[in-house]
Amino acid sequence: MKSDFSPYVPRPATLVAKNTLSEYVTLFEFAQDSGKTLAHRPGQFIQVSVYGVGEAPFSVSSPPQSDHHHFELAVRRTGSVTNALHNLQTGSKVGIRGPYGSYFPMQKFVGQDLLFVAGGLGYIPIRSVLYYMLRHREEYGDIILLVGTRHPGERIFTDQLEEISRRSDVHVLETVDMPDENWQGNVGVITTLFPKIRINPENTNVAMIGPPVMYRFVIDECAKLGIPQERIYVSLERRMKCGLGKCGHCQINGINCCTDGPVFCYTKIANLPEAF
Amino acid sequence: MVAYIVYLQQIPELLRKWSSSHDVYVPTRVEDHFYEFRPWQEKMHIAWDYDLAYSPLKVFFMPPREDLIHFDLHNYTASPVIKKTRQLLFGVHPYDIKAINQLDQLMGMDGIDVNYQNLRDNTVIFGLEPARLAETAFWAGVDAARVDFGFDLFWTRISPGAFLVRVGSAQGEEMLKMGSSMTSATAAEKEAARRIHLRTAARADKQSFGFTWTQVPEFMNKFYSRKLYWREKAKTCLSCGSCNLVCPTCYCFDIQDETDDHLKTGKRYRQWDGCMLEGFARIAGGLNFRPNAWERYRHRYMRKGKYIYDRIGELGCVGCGRCVKACTAKIANPREVFREIREAIKNEV
Repeated sequence: MKSDFSPYVPRPATLVAKNTLSEYVTLFEFAQDSGKTLAHRPGQFIQVSVYGVGEAPFSVSSPPQSDHHHFELAVRRTGSVTNALHNLQTGSKVGIRGPYGSYFPMQKFVGQDLLFVAGGLGYIPIRSVLYYMLRHREEYGDIILLVGTRHPGERIFTDQLEEISRRSDVHVLETVDMPDENWQGNVGVITTLFPKIRINPENTNVAMIGPPVMYRFVIDECAKLGIPQERIYVSLERRMKCGLGKCGHCQINGINCCTDGPVFCYTKIANLPEAF
Repeated sequence: MVAYIVYLQQIPELLRKWSSSHDVYVPTRVEDHFYEFRPWQEKMHIAWDYDLAYSPLKVFFMPPREDLIHFDLHNYTASPVIKKTRQLLFGVHPYDIKAINQLDQLMGMDGIDVNYQNLRDNTVIFGLEPARLAETAFWAGVDAARVDFGFDLFWTRISPGAFLVRVGSAQGEEMLKMGSSMTSATAAEKEAARRIHLRTAARADKQSFGFTWTQVPEFMNKFYSRKLYWREKAKTCLSCGSCNLVCPTCYCFDIQDETDDHLKTGKRYRQWDGCMLEGFARIAGGLNFRPNAWERYRHRYMRKGKYIYDRIGELGCVGCGRCVKACTAKIANPREVFREIREAIKNEV
């Protein structure tokens, strides 16, 4: 049995739609050729293959879909695989493996408030969690979404963010580090949004994803608000090559980001110097 | 344990029989002081007294480069590539068996690595009591002077012309009995083998580090933040990755694609990688989580002295001394690092 099964063999999927989100970021919608749902959980990643170019890990950006087999990835054009993805036409095929890794504990969040902190491309995986919660809105308490970007030109999912911010049951705050002449909103790093929010520390969970430099500062802000460490969740980026806890590339001190992560409760990594 | 006596002159006949069903590898001298496991051939000189094989034996279970899948770019299909070569490694020292035992555990964790497992399942290991000890070896210090499992047979040369062969598996015994008239070992012969082992172990003890290895993980943990020490140690590191390549317990790899000239078919393969190499922890966009040589050097020793221990309860170092030999800058030396850290911590208290 085990002889001819290999976890390295990808499954085929087809590119159904491509939408430009910013100069470098594109949203890709794929459908699994098997017709089966991806069955991922918010925060998990998959390995995407463009045969002949290579394979790279991406967090799934869409929420779990139990009713159909499409899923979305938002990808920044930065290396060989991401460039190859950007050059694909709709109808092209890719290979996928996974989903892999840990995920946000959606069951644990039931009945509680959630504070999302998304820095830059960190919004991509956050989106999976957020839309899952919006779909089951009545099961969760207050939702606050903080989004920080370097330039207004790097903002992604702007239409959807505007749509969400019009809802009365989600509080959305956005900021940019370096505004241009048209920017009307907040200016400053993401922590400058913290004085503008009111949360109940007894009942609030935090889900944060952003560039490594962001975490320490946001965690400090959370501490000031009185949110205990065991209710802070982060997702970390590493270069997972195998996704199976073997190849060693994604090691954070003694743990593997691909199998122990990418989503961690802060208490699990607070003592790991290599985490951020 | 069941044991037999095999005479030197019986061995060629056995090797001939074994090689009909297995690719047989034996230690042999390739240059002055260099030994390697090479395919056995008739009349080949087997280096029974070799001190260390230059290449680690992981080459037999995780080849330096190995195909994982073959794909077709036209219809976008892929199929697994899994090798099941039947191999016999004859003459493996205990520290190398221990390294393989560790790989068995690590490659079997969080889902089995099928490529490793299939080669491993098809490999027979005949251990050999070392007759000599490499200058750089310190295996007695890390509990690798003897192994109790991980071999099918274990050979000890009890006289110039005779071996005592302990049985480690039914398959090993079966293969031994392919030879004509094997005699069971007497109690005296078993005692002779035991004494030879004790003598070897005593010699090896002199090249150990003088304290029990179980203290190492704690020292390493305490010393992680001593940047000055790590910077100083790695000052001359060339980031060449030689220590990774020759290490019998290093198993990190990279995955790459390759296509034919017509872009119709291709293969995805894995090849050995090394945490000492500059780009090992780099992610998309160029951010590198271990940009400096000293951080990578520290990571490697943390892995050997702490992280692997946290997973399997043993140091990720079997004391073979290969890295000590291979390091051009002469800074790879786990015995020295563990010892220095222990001294430093002892003097602080």
